[in-house]
Amino acid sequence: MSEATLSLEAVRARSARGVRARRAADRLATGLLWTAAISVVLLLAFFVGYIFYLGVGAISWQFLTAPPSEVSAGGGIGPEIYNSFYILILTLIFTAPIAISAGIYLQEYAKPGAFRSLVQFSAESLATVPSIVMGLFGLLVFVYYFGWHFSALGGALTLTILNLPALMRVSQEALASVPSTLREASMALGATKWTTITRAVLPSAVGPLTTGIVLIAGRIFGETAALIYTAGVSVAAGKGAYDLSPFRPAETLAVHVWYTHAESVVPDVARIGNGSALVLLAMVLLFNVGARIVGRFLTIRFTGKA
Amino acid sequence: MIHVVESLDPAVVKMDIRDLNVYYGSFHAIKNASLEVADRKVTALIGPSGCGKSTFIRALNRMHDLTPEARVTGTVSLDGTNIYDQSVDPVVVRHRVGMVFQRPNPFPKSIFENVVYGPKTHGERNRNELMACAERSLRRAALWDEVKDRLFKSALDLSGGQQQRLCIARVLAVEPEVILMDEPASALDPIATSKIEDLIGELKKDYTVVIVTHSMQQAARISDLTAFFLLGELIEVGTTSDIFTRPKDRRTEDYITGRYG
Amino acid sequence: MALASPGRLHAAAVRAHRTEFVARTLLRAASAFVVFAIVALIVYLASEGTKLFTHDHVSPLLFLFSPTFNPDANAPGSLVFIVGSLAITLFAILVGGPFGIAVGVFLSELAPRGVVAAMKPAIEVLVGIPSVVYGWIGLTLLVPLIRTVTGSNGFGLLAAGVVLSVMILPTVITLSEDALRAVPGSLREGSLAMGATRWQTIWNVLLPAAGSGLTVALILGIARAIGETMAVQLVIGNAAVLPSGLLSPAAALPTEIVMDMSGAQQGSLLSHALFSMALLLLLIAMALILAVRFALRKRM
Repeated sequence: MSEATLSLEAVRARSARGVRARRAADRLATGLLWTAAISVVLLLAFFVGYIFYLGVGAISWQFLTAPPSEVSAGGGIGPEIYNSFYILILTLIFTAPIAISAGIYLQEYAKPGAFRSLVQFSAESLATVPSIVMGLFGLLVFVYYFGWHFSALGGALTLTILNLPALMRVSQEALASVPSTLREASMALGATKWTTITRAVLPSAVGPLTTGIVLIAGRIFGETAALIYTAGVSVAAGKGAYDLSPFRPAETLAVHVWYTHAESVVPDVARIGNGSALVLLAMVLLFNVGARIVGRFLTIRFTGKA
Repeated sequence: MIHVVESLDPAVVKMDIRDLNVYYGSFHAIKNASLEVADRKVTALIGPSGCGKSTFIRALNRMHDLTPEARVTGTVSLDGTNIYDQSVDPVVVRHRVGMVFQRPNPFPKSIFENVVYGPKTHGERNRNELMACAERSLRRAALWDEVKDRLFKSALDLSGGQQQRLCIARVLAVEPEVILMDEPASALDPIATSKIEDLIGELKKDYTVVIVTHSMQQAARISDLTAFFLLGELIEVGTTSDIFTRPKDRRTEDYITGRYG
Repeated sequence: MALASPGRLHAAAVRAHRTEFVARTLLRAASAFVVFAIVALIVYLASEGTKLFTHDHVSPLLFLFSPTFNPDANAPGSLVFIVGSLAITLFAILVGGPFGIAVGVFLSELAPRGVVAAMKPAIEVLVGIPSVVYGWIGLTLLVPLIRTVTGSNGFGLLAAGVVLSVMILPTVITLSEDALRAVPGSLREGSLAMGATRWQTIWNVLLPAAGSGLTVALILGIARAIGETMAVQLVIGNAAVLPSGLLSPAAALPTEIVMDMSGAQQGSLLSHALFSMALLLLLIAMALILAVRFALRKRM
């Protein structure tokens, strides 16, 4: 009879084949996943290496300090580097107080309710706005409506709004990393909530907070789309390029990379683009590495441990 | 129904708790508890886990204010004034009624900064005053000799028992009148525990102590009065020797003799 | 001792409470500013972005569906850009999406702790690389590569799609990893205890369980792709025509804005058209946020 042929050995054999097949699928999947992960790392290494390889020939003291040239070869990126840092610092000056305050409010004070949800939704929305759209908003408000024309300040304020959500999130996470027992101990000693935050919670949160700020600084340094039509694509001539005033066009290094290719008519576009890209990438890498180092240092300094 | 051995002479009542109810949302955690805490004596709160001892003690320094879902009704009087009264500042209450927690929770700062945290937040700026206060508090917490040479090193480097004594010093630095202790030795080894117990014996000369403990032996060793809690109710309170040798309520007796716990 | 005197203590407490009030007010104000910022953004962009329809009397249907972009003839049909954006975003999510989820699975389920710790900074750097640098790599490496392999001029949807796929990887990886880590360990244990292999557990149990989180990862990857400007602009060819294939030069909404804004007079029809495109991008972004919220609400 047919049932009798379905002997125990046959069932076991079929089951064993199934197990072998599943184990093979498992090994294949594992291999593919490892490959995917390794490709990501290799991709990163390749990108960094490639940009360095492309641009290293363009780097010279002259390149790093000379002003850009409009029509002839031999321009440099000195003023652009200056503007990148200038706008970075100006942006952080505006963003930090607002974002950290809002972060503290959401994390430590706000009770669940309409206002809290509204603030969180607003932050989420701001985070999803594409940077070009933010740049157009900046164009409308600062260049047209306020009449500033292209200005470093307009660019910095636009970047401020762009980066508020990120710094808020960083603040909230830094505060959340502080255990609640610390707050309890402080309140039980007769401190108010604000005193507890400033004297007990924030010192412990300083490390992760700083790491986050430096990483965001790296992103600000590389921002382009939001700056093209707010801070502009030009720098003043001569010494005026290193102006301390915020009311002047201020092309940054990142914008220069784009501008060189898209609009510039100089004959050595490739050299300038390669060199600018390299300097830009190098700065961002420095920010990334520095973020961790500074964060760890501050954590040890302010909390004595871990 | 609580059985009270005798009502204390009002002159020696430091805190008078009447009809205290604590709710976490809809959960009724403490049911109609009334207790008189004697001045400069050690009152132990015992009972099986989950019976509400910690919830009760946190009502004595308004720590429930920090929990939005918690609701407290009834009165808790400190020297005759209800601390839950509208006109009373919880910040001031916590200055007069200090708390030591189950797990030592020193701030990640230096030993010195930990001890003077309280006085500093209350406005003391004078460096000499703060140093004197730190020494005084650390001596009273029996920790001075062990840390006097490393006052400015991190408090996190201390052992568990030392950290807990540091937390006690921190509380002493604000000069409270009542010290609440929520199972202060439960996270410590026996040697550290006995140091804390000796310390409590010394502290009661100047301070009123209320201590939550899950160890009956500890209550028997160090307390003058004992209150027994079960499922959110205060069942019985009396002198420690009476509670342990002649309990009036059957439930107390069952707990003492180990029927449950 | 002076510290304990009631008068001094009360004075200090009063000061502390006053500071508390001031601090709380300032913190609230900062939070309110965030709300103000997004409201202002929406209001300004909606106002300027509808001028094409209200002032210049261009029909929204023409704007959205006409394949002819001719602002000089009052016919700024943006279909070419919409199609371009959709095409490259679709490419990016089809290529970068599974790849990113795969790496997310790797980090959450397979990688030893040391490997995870080593990869985290790598992913962080990938996020940090500025878009213009990605664009520059695409321009100098990818476009010539496509040119030699296919014979076309190299610029086009393919180049833009590949660049975008790489750029959305970090977003998708991080969010997928988080979504998978959030799945309780008991589900893994239960599956393995029944004799399932690790891959079977991942495929049959974990991925479905992390479904809403993975959906969010993909939605946010889409959001990143659709708003990306600089990298795409350098490699897409910037031709305002409907793309006929992967290799044809095209244009996307953000790239058109960045290319033509410099030549657009304030108040001109071209300027209004570009602002309408920006408004469209904003609406798409807000729709994606709502999609994320919807996906999260469906979580069991």
